[in-house]
Amino acid sequence: MSAKNMEKVEQATNRKNISLPMSRVRLIMKSSPDVSCINQDALFLTTKATELFVQHLALSSYKNGSGKETNTLSYSDLANAAEESETFQFLTDILPKKILAREYLKSLEEMEKDADNL
Amino acid sequence: MDGDSSTTDTTQLGITGEYMTGGTYVLQTQDDDGDESFNDHEDGNGSKDYFREQDIYLPIANVARIMKNAIPQTGKIAKDAKECVQECVSEFISFITSEPLKLYLQKFREAMKGEKGINPVAVSEGLGEELTDDSFTGQLPAGLITADGQQQNVMVYTTSYQQIPGVQQIQFS
Repeated sequence: MSAKNMEKVEQATNRKNISLPMSRVRLIMKSSPDVSCINQDALFLTTKATELFVQHLALSSYKNGSGKETNTLSYSDLANAAEESETFQFLTDILPKKILAREYLKSLEEMEKDADNL
Repeated sequence: MDGDSSTTDTTQLGITGEYMTGGTYVLQTQDDDGDESFNDHEDGNGSKDYFREQDIYLPIANVARIMKNAIPQTGKIAKDAKECVQECVSEFISFITSEPLKLYLQKFREAMKGEKGINPVAVSEGLGEELTDDSFTGQLPAGLITADGQQQNVMVYTTSYQQIPGVQQIQFS
């Protein structure tokens, strides 16, 4: 990019105002296999994209969840977003829905009962 | 998605729909509040293979601040929600790191196949094809993937994103 373009970019981004530590982002990127060197621009873009991702995730979950009643973003809002939205499908593994142990055991018993009855 | 180490295929999880009527579940303590700790704080003592908690996640304060700025002013965020977004963020970074890398390696091998002594190969890719994620598609070329004759694994790649309403717009030319 030419100098003029870089200046425009910097102004637009408020002098590269990012809230996340790039060093930590680099560390996480390096945990992927086969990654040796990471270009500075790529690192910056990843950090910025991550920021936008957090905003998007928080806002979507809040809007779809119990926002109006409780005014709180809860874990279940996030789990619902992961399940319902195609965008967040890749998060389904780490955002499973929660269930109380006794409910699970109860359902398990019912399943076994049904199996016995058949 | 192709089968790779990080699966999003829910049928590969231990607890699946054969026990429950739908979806996957994780067991929760009776308290049902946000006091769960997602990480084992004693990790560092044993094997050196495990990263410390602060190494694999971004600082929760930063993450929480970004979340807070995103939702309407009066909103609150549960503690466990913050912690799990922290995990999601790390997952996201790994995800967008690994996908273009696969594409790059594929293209690199194809490029290397026929020719010997190839000069620097410059490839610029977008993430649009890799992610089913509509919010992150768009035209944003920036950065190069270069490889010289020594076949160094230098990776630079592009990300692309769509303008998300309500979020500060960034113009790349």
